[in-house]
Amino acid sequence: MQWKSSLLAAVFAGLSLGAMAGTASAAGPTCKDGTIKVGAVSTITGPADFSEVPKATQAAFDAVNAAGGINGCKIDYTIADDKADPAVAAQAARDLIDNKEAVALVGSGSLLDCAVNSATYSRKKILSVQGLGVDAACFSSPNVAPVNVGPYTLSTAMAWYATNQLKSEKLCAFFIIIGGTREAYKKAIENWEKISGKKIHLIDLTLPFQGDLTPYVIKARDAGCDAVLTNQVEPQVVQLIKTVDAQKITGINWLFLAPGYTEQVASALADTRQPIYVGTEWEPFTEKSSAANAQWAADMQKAGRPLTAFSQGGYLAAQLFLKVVASIDGEVTRESVTKALHEMQPIANPLSGSAYVFGTAKVHSPMQATKVMKLEKGAWTVETPDWVVLPQAK
Amino acid sequence: MNALLTSAVAGLTAGGTYALLGVCAVFTYRLVAVVNFTGAAIGTAGTFVLIALYEAGFPIWPSVVAGIAAGTVVGVLIGYIMTRWFGEASASTKAAVTVALLVGIIAIGLRLTGGQHPHNMPELFPGSAFRMAGVEVTIASVLTIGLAALFTILADLFLNNTKVGLNLRALADRPMAAELLGIRVQLLSLLVWGMTGAFTTFALMIIAPQRSPNFMTLSLLAVPALAAALVGLFRSFWRTLAGGIVLGLVEGMASSVDSISQYRSAIPFLVVLAVLLWSQREARWDEAR
Repeated sequence: MQWKSSLLAAVFAGLSLGAMAGTASAAGPTCKDGTIKVGAVSTITGPADFSEVPKATQAAFDAVNAAGGINGCKIDYTIADDKADPAVAAQAARDLIDNKEAVALVGSGSLLDCAVNSATYSRKKILSVQGLGVDAACFSSPNVAPVNVGPYTLSTAMAWYATNQLKSEKLCAFFIIIGGTREAYKKAIENWEKISGKKIHLIDLTLPFQGDLTPYVIKARDAGCDAVLTNQVEPQVVQLIKTVDAQKITGINWLFLAPGYTEQVASALADTRQPIYVGTEWEPFTEKSSAANAQWAADMQKAGRPLTAFSQGGYLAAQLFLKVVASIDGEVTRESVTKALHEMQPIANPLSGSAYVFGTAKVHSPMQATKVMKLEKGAWTVETPDWVVLPQAK
Repeated sequence: MNALLTSAVAGLTAGGTYALLGVCAVFTYRLVAVVNFTGAAIGTAGTFVLIALYEAGFPIWPSVVAGIAAGTVVGVLIGYIMTRWFGEASASTKAAVTVALLVGIIAIGLRLTGGQHPHNMPELFPGSAFRMAGVEVTIASVLTIGLAALFTILADLFLNNTKVGLNLRALADRPMAAELLGIRVQLLSLLVWGMTGAFTTFALMIIAPQRSPNFMTLSLLAVPALAAALVGLFRSFWRTLAGGIVLGLVEGMASSVDSISQYRSAIPFLVVLAVLLWSQREARWDEAR
């Protein structure tokens, strides 16, 4: 009889295992009314236009919806324009959270969303997978984790590249300080000093947003800098290099952050012979044939969206979010999404050099890698085919 | 000391710009009695016509002519608004209207020119003229200072020694009386607006390659320019010329002193404040006498 009861037990065990497996495959994410509501707060009108970020997120969600959604749930995506106005940004976030009942914010790209709204996000227990973190608060809030490297980590990475690969001995840094970014940039340089064991030769935190740059390039030359790192944005990158050319300065490597990496900058500086390097946030978007870009480029072209760095950010945020949602068992609510993001395992994507993880840390900057581009005769070329990954940046 | 001299010379480029635009502002004020905030924006509009044509592949100099023509048209257009609807308004109302117009022009300009994206600005006068204290003084900055001086001399001669100049001064001081005397107020005003439009456009075309090539930054050159004009109390061309150049030199020097360089962009405002206080002090003395 012994063997019979054992057999019976085994059959029962097998049956219950099967039943469990059955429930597991039948589960996965579910939703009320067949939709998952998601929002983004972005600067679309005003002094800057980051709309390409959430529009790429939208395109990625549209593609999923067209294919039937996640487990039958369609994503209902709302993009709110904060007009770079703090009052409008606060209003937009509250509308998405309270009225639209968004489960998460995905693919936001804004001048001030994080600074204005991160306290609200903490209070309402909603998380933001920021498509493009711009202001310092995006990298210092518990409820925001950007999918981009960001200006501060990128500053450290570019300084690291200058000393490690360009063999710079006298690195100088010139930063434009807007709002509360002063400490973040200083910290970025301190991090580099820790990693490299070197000292910054000259740091100037007074670079003007507008005005003549001649005194500054003269200062860099007279201080004997062999590499200059700045956080200038697009038009100022052009102005700086034109001023350097007018002053006939040679022998300095010029290092910029991701905002300088555009086709317009390349064509406006086609005539210069200055060595110009920029750090990218993701796989270089100008590398049309890169395998890492293939899926993103195909999806963007299908949606009729331009192939820009901003659109990579929005697209990446969408892909990471979709994977996290797909891992949820049961109803997709703000609580379950927050829990899933807090407990997620790092997710790799070929568009970025680091795996993305949200987690429960007080501050987040999961992306720690860049690829460096060099400007040559009006075109960007990849200088580092492998990712430049920061060694223990924290 | 040497570093200070070097940074002062480095500020010369900016100084020439401020002087040139400042002298244009004084010209407009003395002839049509408007404190004009749109001066640099008018020039910027013309400059972007040049950029658009150049980027479309047209040769440089015909594009320059077209750009100046466009700047003239924008100048006349703004002049038309000012004389048609605000001819009798007080000086402060007129100034406020030009501020509103400036905001409007920047908004439209940014939209039409692709926001912050930089453009390919052709250098009309490339190269450097000479080297001083370790700084290359560019042909463009020598040219701006030269043009500012030339404009100063011409404006002085024109206003003091010609009949048209006399008529224009009458027009600015007492527009109604001038009209009753048979002076063609509207036509002369538009002429002034058109002339300054053309001139500032050409000035901006020289300056633009050395500045941040987007619509807003170029338009906002109006602020230091008006500070320079205030140094001349909106009357003296020579003092405005000197004021603009000194403003540039001070800005340049400020950037070499770490403790004050972060407040560098506030310097024009400090100059405005100082001049206003100074002029108030004179008024008080006058009262006391």
